[in-house]
Amino acid sequence: MSLTFLFRTITKDFAKVNTYHVQSLHTGLQLLAADKSLLLKLRKITGYTFINCKKALETFDNDIAQAETWLNEQAQKEGWNKANKLEGRKAKEGLVGLFMGHKAAVMVEVNCETDFVARNEKFQQLVKEVAFATLAHHRNKTKSQDGYVKSVLVGDELNKLSLAEGASLSDRVALTIGRLGENLSVRRAVMVGVPAEWNIGSYVHGGVSGQTEVAMGRYGALVIFQGGADGAQQVLGRKLGQHIVGESPVSLGNMEDLPCGESETRLLPQTFLGDPSRTVAQFLRGQQARVLDFVRFQCGETTSEEAK
Amino acid sequence: MASLVGLRACFSALQLTSPSLLHSSIRLSAVPLCRRTYAAEAKKTYSRDKPHVNIGTIGHVDHGKTTLTAAITKVLAEAGGANFKKYEEIDNAPEEKARGITINASHVEYTTANRHYAHTDCPGHADYVKNMITGTAQMDGCILVVAGTDGQMPQTREHILLARQIGVEHVVVFINKADVVDDKEMLELVEIEIRELLTEFGYDGDNAPVVIGSALCALENRQPELGVNAVMNLLEQVDEYIPLPKRQLEKPFLLPVEGVCSIPGRGTVVTGTLERGVIKKGDECEFVGHNRSFKSVVTGIEMFHKSLDRAEAGDNLGALVRSLKREEVRRGMVMCKPGSIMPHKKIQAQVYVLSKEEGGRHKPFVSNFMPLMFSLTWDMACRVTLPEDKEMVMPGEDTSLTLTLRQPMVLEKGQRFTLRDGNRTIGTGLVTDILPVTDEDLHNWG
Repeated sequence: MSLTFLFRTITKDFAKVNTYHVQSLHTGLQLLAADKSLLLKLRKITGYTFINCKKALETFDNDIAQAETWLNEQAQKEGWNKANKLEGRKAKEGLVGLFMGHKAAVMVEVNCETDFVARNEKFQQLVKEVAFATLAHHRNKTKSQDGYVKSVLVGDELNKLSLAEGASLSDRVALTIGRLGENLSVRRAVMVGVPAEWNIGSYVHGGVSGQTEVAMGRYGALVIFQGGADGAQQVLGRKLGQHIVGESPVSLGNMEDLPCGESETRLLPQTFLGDPSRTVAQFLRGQQARVLDFVRFQCGETTSEEAK
Repeated sequence: MASLVGLRACFSALQLTSPSLLHSSIRLSAVPLCRRTYAAEAKKTYSRDKPHVNIGTIGHVDHGKTTLTAAITKVLAEAGGANFKKYEEIDNAPEEKARGITINASHVEYTTANRHYAHTDCPGHADYVKNMITGTAQMDGCILVVAGTDGQMPQTREHILLARQIGVEHVVVFINKADVVDDKEMLELVEIEIRELLTEFGYDGDNAPVVIGSALCALENRQPELGVNAVMNLLEQVDEYIPLPKRQLEKPFLLPVEGVCSIPGRGTVVTGTLERGVIKKGDECEFVGHNRSFKSVVTGIEMFHKSLDRAEAGDNLGALVRSLKREEVRRGMVMCKPGSIMPHKKIQAQVYVLSKEEGGRHKPFVSNFMPLMFSLTWDMACRVTLPEDKEMVMPGEDTSLTLTLRQPMVLEKGQRFTLRDGNRTIGTGLVTDILPVTDEDLHNWG
């Protein structure tokens, strides 16, 4: 009885060992269809995942040029797949991008999941394209104007914007999602335009170096003002922008308003950041300038509309 | 009969070395990896005498950092070195208030044959930097997790850059999801690429250990050669490659002076908690700080009114010092091994500025801001100079700052300090560099 039992266990063990070896033989037989050095090269050029690069090389029989074209075509589809999969994952990090044109400026916020991605060039490239697309959109729409223009875009309006190459913004975002593997969203954009004699001041805080055209950071502010000494308007605009980022005012207030302590949320009665002995209104009087409006973006903040 | 039993044992042994797909052998397959300590049973009892090492995982969000952490605890739980934590139990990175600062981090502990580990995982760059500055979970080394399917991501560069920034010297790579990749050569390519990248950022890419496996397999008890064995192999590599941090006891002694008192008939005693090192009766010592510096000899050590021959780091003690006058020493100075530490006036530091919610300022500050700096037992007014590319510092931000003290105080690289303004703590920092004092600095303090 015990003998048969032992015998049975032995055969069972033998079978186990056997299955393993057979299996390893089997995997060993699957030879690589795509050439190794070509694969590495293709990956270097395109940056797509190894699995896709390999698929491409296998499909086109190691023709690297064809494989590359195919990968680029696939990327859009892959991006959408990925985007759908990642949809709903929280994206609270990201960057505020700010671009100053001639008498016009745009400020956009693009979100991602981790601040690692916000530091990546590919993400910053996307922020830049979003900024340019928003600006182009407004150039086409608004031609003549009396006062200043301030228009805010959110959600679908933004996604429908088209880029320079004709693709829609949401396609471009999906493509980047495919590359970076994180949920991304273009959250909001604001465009400001002023007549020739007015000025726009801007400031971006917590900036990333290396991006020259579009300033990027965690905070951004645009301020529309009149007056100021000739040639000094840029510095003045920057100082005001810095104050707005730092003190985060909620509303403008009046020049005659009296300050009510530390928690003042109106811009004009606030203590001026650059000179604590004066309020913003007093500072502006000294410069013979007048602030008409401002916008402040803080990356990841909950806006009042969303809170409702 | 006996020979048959022998034969059976042979087969079991074969099973041990050749990983099998079958569940029954999984528990056994962990055994050969325990060979490094002869007493396999001893591991089952939790013991504190193993050296402690802090490690962390970094990598892309979808590459399986948390799955790997779960797998490590599972594998070690079977060997008695951890409590198995499921994926869902780890993946919450709870907000933690360390030194009044909110950090998102998940901590897991486990024990390998040789060491006790605290394993940290944070979701973002900022969290790791806060960790470094506050010293809540300083990492002695880290595991970079890359999925074999994707290879490195564009942001992997940022991950390695972070490791450099927070001073991690040793990186072990785990190529995850190998079970989904059906050909080995592709994994080799992933490995080649990641080694190149490590070398690019100044790590020893050629010799850094790279382990290929699948954390999911280890969790689901499949393919032990990619699952359990790979995880065990990874832990062995971590054990070997990441060196032990230098222990406090091995460093030259440092006693920040908390109080001074004179005992009639015996002399002057300085009291304090020994920060590091060992003091013995008869040791030479040096007093530094508050613009003074002189040498003497420790003639007696007491703890709770009992005389000691030797005091170790962490001991709260009183030291009797030869021919010391009470007026010569005051709180804020340090007693140290002669020549081991110097007072400095100007430093470069990495500082985390507390956000409003954490009790810090609600307004930004600019250059020439003058907070009080607290470190060891001293406090001193200091002047803040922002780096060139910054005009102001917002609450909730980490930044590099240059701090100039009104008077030189004991400071060294790696020392932690707190900045306070009025009655609130506004920031906490880590000394990254000692700077020479220029004429301009002296002039500024009048």
